[in-house]
Amino acid sequence: MNIIVCIKQVPDPEGPPGSYVINPALNRVEARGIPPVLSLFDENALEAALRIKDTLTHDEVKITVMSMGTRISGAVLQKALAAGADELVKIEDGALESATLDSHATASALASAIRKKGKYDLIFTGRQAADWNAGQVGIGIARFLGIPAVTLAGKVTIKDGHAVVERVTPRGYEVVRTPLPSLIAVSNEVGALRYPTMMQRREAKHKPVTSWSTADIGLYGNPETRLVVKGFFVREMRQGRCEIIEGDTAATAGLNLAQRLMHDGVISP
Amino acid sequence: MSEGAVTVLVELTEEKGIEPVSRECLAMAGKIAGACGTKLAAVVMGNAIGDAAGEVSRYDIDTVYTLDHPLLECYESELYEAAFLQFYTIARPCGILMGHTLLSIDLAPRIAFALGTSLVTDCTGFEYGAEGLCFIKPVYSGNIYASLLIRGEPFMATIRLKSEEPALPSQKRHVEIVRVPVELDRTGAAIEVLERVVGENRGADLQSADIVVAGGRGIGSAEGFELLKNLAGMLGGAVGASRPPCDLGWVSPAIQVGQTGGIVSPSVYIAVGISGSMQHIAGMAGAKTVVAVNKDPAATIFKIADYGVVGDFREVMPAFTGAIRDRRKGGTTQGNRT
Ligand SMILES: Cc1cc2nc3c(=O)[nH]c(=O)nc-3n(C[C@H](O)[C@H](O)[C@H](O)COP(=O)(O)OP(=O)(O)OC[C@H]3O[C@@H](n4cnc5c(N)ncnc54)[C@H](O)[C@@H]3O)c2cc1C
Repeated sequence: MNIIVCIKQVPDPEGPPGSYVINPALNRVEARGIPPVLSLFDENALEAALRIKDTLTHDEVKITVMSMGTRISGAVLQKALAAGADELVKIEDGALESATLDSHATASALASAIRKKGKYDLIFTGRQAADWNAGQVGIGIARFLGIPAVTLAGKVTIKDGHAVVERVTPRGYEVVRTPLPSLIAVSNEVGALRYPTMMQRREAKHKPVTSWSTADIGLYGNPETRLVVKGFFVREMRQGRCEIIEGDTAATAGLNLAQRLMHDGVISP
Repeated sequence: MSEGAVTVLVELTEEKGIEPVSRECLAMAGKIAGACGTKLAAVVMGNAIGDAAGEVSRYDIDTVYTLDHPLLECYESELYEAAFLQFYTIARPCGILMGHTLLSIDLAPRIAFALGTSLVTDCTGFEYGAEGLCFIKPVYSGNIYASLLIRGEPFMATIRLKSEEPALPSQKRHVEIVRVPVELDRTGAAIEVLERVVGENRGADLQSADIVVAGGRGIGSAEGFELLKNLAGMLGGAVGASRPPCDLGWVSPAIQVGQTGGIVSPSVYIAVGISGSMQHIAGMAGAKTVVAVNKDPAATIFKIADYGVVGDFREVMPAFTGAIRDRRKGGTTQGNRT
């Protein structure tokens, strides 16, 4: 079984607020002083693929990680190989600056790369990327490849040549079955990406890494985009005038807080 | 822009009422229609939804389209997409708005790709200027907002809950109700639903609660949440959580608050053991009063809180809960002012 996991590299979404700077000249947002990381839901997607590999012991499962962008950090993507992916395909090109690509262009380029890769039974993406949170690329890839897409996956197993997916719903989950090949967009309910051992970290350095340019995947010129960024701005976030309620001990502070909230009518006594 | 109406996909609650986020969309779509000089319409999908269509027609809109079919009883990606595209062919809306919900997260991109147009998800507003209609969306963990122009028709956006005052029923114009003939069968569908597992509707409890007691990673365990449940129970509120307690299985994912969870704006939000990440704040910034309990005085949550206690919640919360309980019983426990 061949599984492709699409992983985006993003500036650490948990970086301090000053880390994201608007560059008006280039009309984009740049990260300052924070490292790139694997986008969180893409890590969940890789974990979903690894769990399939854990269970399908009678079948050889090969997991290919695909990452597209301008400056893909090998060190960051090593994490995916160390966790258990078998190979990495980087699609790296100046024309693939994620700040200027919309979901349509991204999905179309990734679909071209996947077609070039050839055989696949399952494609995983995260439910949304942690920088722009558009949440459309998975469905777009499936559309371009002409395969079914299942979103908001909380658990994925393989049964009788189908993927069986638990999808998150407002009041619980539903179990759906989709034929192979299919695309599955994964949510955090799948669970966090496993930690590699020292041995796996070492082995990861020897796993195959392939680099493709846009020409390699049959794209020429700048990909067509349908969304235009008209501008960026910053909005003040909620401002509290936090009054710290003190007390001799933490317990007394808790008690004082309760009395204060009742006194101020925040909580009715 | 084409002649068609700005159209809202109205989602129904289990009782076949209108979802609050859909009422917000109706309000926002009304403003957009006003700015662009187009009509305003709503589309309702489901099975046996006649009454719901009547309910929607109480709002100040021009047309209500109903897509009523037994196979639309529950959401299924391929069937809903097919039905919506049939509606599109008939009504040709100039723009489509949906609430940013678990349904639209799946449906809206399908429609956008099928129609070859583009979509801005999880928007908090719009602006209409010389260049046209732009949707505003928080990006980079909500630190920055982007204003995005859609090339292509129809324009599509999903709207984050609590972005707009919900529309109220007010019949100003004559509302036309159009029943769209829907032809559906399962033959083309690849995805098959095997089972639906329905739990308690904790998300809805959280939405409607006036007081939310939320716990974060700092709570440390499922047992720790019992303290918060007791407090919420006593206050007649609901329990919420940041993402880690949901991911770690201490509480149900249905009670997650934040960018990828529920969005709440209660009178009081008590955040316990929550650091205050931007993704969490996105879900509770609309609360009237925020109370934070955290052992780290530098935690970001204090920057947006109105009242705070720095300390271990295991000591703070029992005393806090006890003081309210005593007071309600008529007791007079005294704290010391410092
Ligand atoms: C794309 C994306 C979407 C996300 N969506 C969401 C979302 O919807 N909702 C969400 O919440 N998060 C979301 N996150 C995650 C978010 O970035 C943070 O990781 C998360 O909110 C942190 O949760 P926390 O505050 O509970 O944990 P932490 O940041 O680990 O904070 C724990 C806090 O508990 C305090 N503490 C520890 N022990 C005690 C004690 N005994 N007593 C008192 N205080 C104590 C600590 O001082 C600390 O401040 C998202 C992230 C990404 C990238």
